[in-house]
Amino acid sequence: MSERRIGVYICYCGGNISDYVDCERVQDAIKHEEGVVVAKTTMFACSDAAQQEMIDDIREQKLDAMVVASCSPTLHLFTFRGVAERAGLNPYLYVQVNLREQCSWAHTDVPEKATEKAVHMVKAGIAKARLTEPLQKTRIDTVPRALVVGAGISGLRAALALSDLGISVYVAEKTDKIGGRVAEMGRMYPHDRRGSELIANLVEEAQKRENVQIYTQAELTEKSGSVGDFTVKLNVKGESIPLNVGAIIVTTGFNSYQPADGEYAYGTDGVLTLPEFKQLLDQCEGDLTYRGKPVGNVSYIYCVGSRGSSQKENPNDYCSRYCCNAAMHASSIAHDLSPGLHQFHLFRDIRTYGKYELLYQEARRKGALFIKFDDDEPPRVEKSNGCFRILVKDVLTNGEELDIESDLVVLVTAMEPRPNQPLNDVLKLPLGLDGFFKEIHPKLRPVETVIDGVFIAGTAQAPRNSAESVASALAATSKSAALLKKGYVELEPLIAVVDKQACTWCDKCVESCPYSAIGKIGSGEKEVAEINAAVCKGCGCCVPACPQGALGVRGYTDRQIRAMIDAMEARNG
Amino acid sequence: MAKVNPAFIEKVTASEEFNATECMNCGVCSAVCPVEIDLLPRKLFRYALLGLEDKVLEHTPAIYQCLLCKLCEANCTADVHIAENVRFLRTYISKEVYKL
Repeated sequence: MSERRIGVYICYCGGNISDYVDCERVQDAIKHEEGVVVAKTTMFACSDAAQQEMIDDIREQKLDAMVVASCSPTLHLFTFRGVAERAGLNPYLYVQVNLREQCSWAHTDVPEKATEKAVHMVKAGIAKARLTEPLQKTRIDTVPRALVVGAGISGLRAALALSDLGISVYVAEKTDKIGGRVAEMGRMYPHDRRGSELIANLVEEAQKRENVQIYTQAELTEKSGSVGDFTVKLNVKGESIPLNVGAIIVTTGFNSYQPADGEYAYGTDGVLTLPEFKQLLDQCEGDLTYRGKPVGNVSYIYCVGSRGSSQKENPNDYCSRYCCNAAMHASSIAHDLSPGLHQFHLFRDIRTYGKYELLYQEARRKGALFIKFDDDEPPRVEKSNGCFRILVKDVLTNGEELDIESDLVVLVTAMEPRPNQPLNDVLKLPLGLDGFFKEIHPKLRPVETVIDGVFIAGTAQAPRNSAESVASALAATSKSAALLKKGYVELEPLIAVVDKQACTWCDKCVESCPYSAIGKIGSGEKEVAEINAAVCKGCGCCVPACPQGALGVRGYTDRQIRAMIDAMEARNG
Repeated sequence: MAKVNPAFIEKVTASEEFNATECMNCGVCSAVCPVEIDLLPRKLFRYALLGLEDKVLEHTPAIYQCLLCKLCEANCTADVHIAENVRFLRTYISKEVYKL
């Protein structure tokens, strides 16, 4: 006989459940189940009145477990855990049964059988509740320091913002130069200032701060610990530096697409990528010249390396987002240098979104000509008599083939992910199909990753311009600071546990864990697996991997699951 | 194949009267034209803007066929001075080709 005192509440959900499931019959069928002390039906279990009734029952009837048979736990698990907590009951003694999504809505045509199924489901819930144990959240004190990986515009801006909030920052930059791609970018839209100036200002400010330390030629080589309390090692110019940080922001930036040899005649002198052209513009004083010769005509070819256009294997499917705007801006700068310049923009689609449309207007006003070509018929670039001939079919004249002479050809090239396998091996962050780091949710959790305490920002995450990169860097700063300023984090206790008796340390579980949460620890005379409570997400991947059956997940133990199956099998009566 | 002639672009765009750069190729002008000119304004101006001088001159008869009735201009959504632009091209051809 169970000594548990369980309260069971069966919700009508205002008809969503009770229209198909006879809730009163369910109540009748389960009220004599072992351990059930309270069995009630309610119109809306989530209503304030019903919640108060549950709290009163828990206190008066001295309940030590609770089952609510209502909707999906996604909707109300935390609501009813909260009810338990307010009544002084450990929230992990609560069990939710999903009668609505898994029964009434699924079987609207057979109410009789739906009712029968509901009885089984609630009995299974009660069987699980009988085996619940009070659990405590894991509390970890956080370290008020952060590591930023990559000293580009995103990393530097994040470092300053963290410093403003009183969080000490280490910045690890792999190369020997601070400033990343922006430092080499020349004049940038929309403010028309030089990237190198922006970076110089940020660096100057960072150098004034006592709590910002920038390492160049530094690589992250090791990471252990967990959210709020990581131990990391940097390899700085051959020297290993151990650091203790609470959060990590990854701002490792992008690579500019390098066209294949011969792609739009790339490799021939006078065919430049957009970053190369921007550097040329930055170096020119007075008229635009290339290798000492004045430039009369420039042709731009858009979407090189983006949107499936590439002569390389596995072309990038995405639009690189910044390049239309950057090419428009470059075109305006070129016009200002040489007002007599003829500029031809050969494009597939122009995507100067939002306020950047003004850059497009400005380029047109300055005389740039725009020629749309069909995706299937890209322009051809030929070298003849010291200049280039671009052959392109103009969509607006119904496919008239134009022959444009140009001194320079600018390939408006894509942003690509910046591969860094050693870093990936340390951080184990998931990459998207496009090769950029992947956030948890693109709208709702845009800078968080599946590794708690590790954030991503800037172009390491997706193609974007510097303004957007900085915005994401500041978002990552806020998320880091929210984590670190509280002083501690609380983690769900529903995680894997090891039966040390049964474990024989075969390390099968280590391979199965997607979060690297399993390590090895001595136990008496043998070695056994140990779960890092702060890293484990309770996904359960390791449980079936263990040949000894030595692993389980709290809240979903084998005993509980077997008891639920047994309860479902039992005949109604 | 049509050769783009930047010098022609310069002559065309240097004129203050010629504002075909505003054209967004919607085609209203073509739809309302009462004389069914075989070369429609939007295409003519595109030739001029792209510096396709040969193409423009090839269509000299069409340029002189226009009635300058301004029906297209009255309906133009982009305020292109279509009739003025046609007159500009006539002036150009008279001077440069017929040497009048």
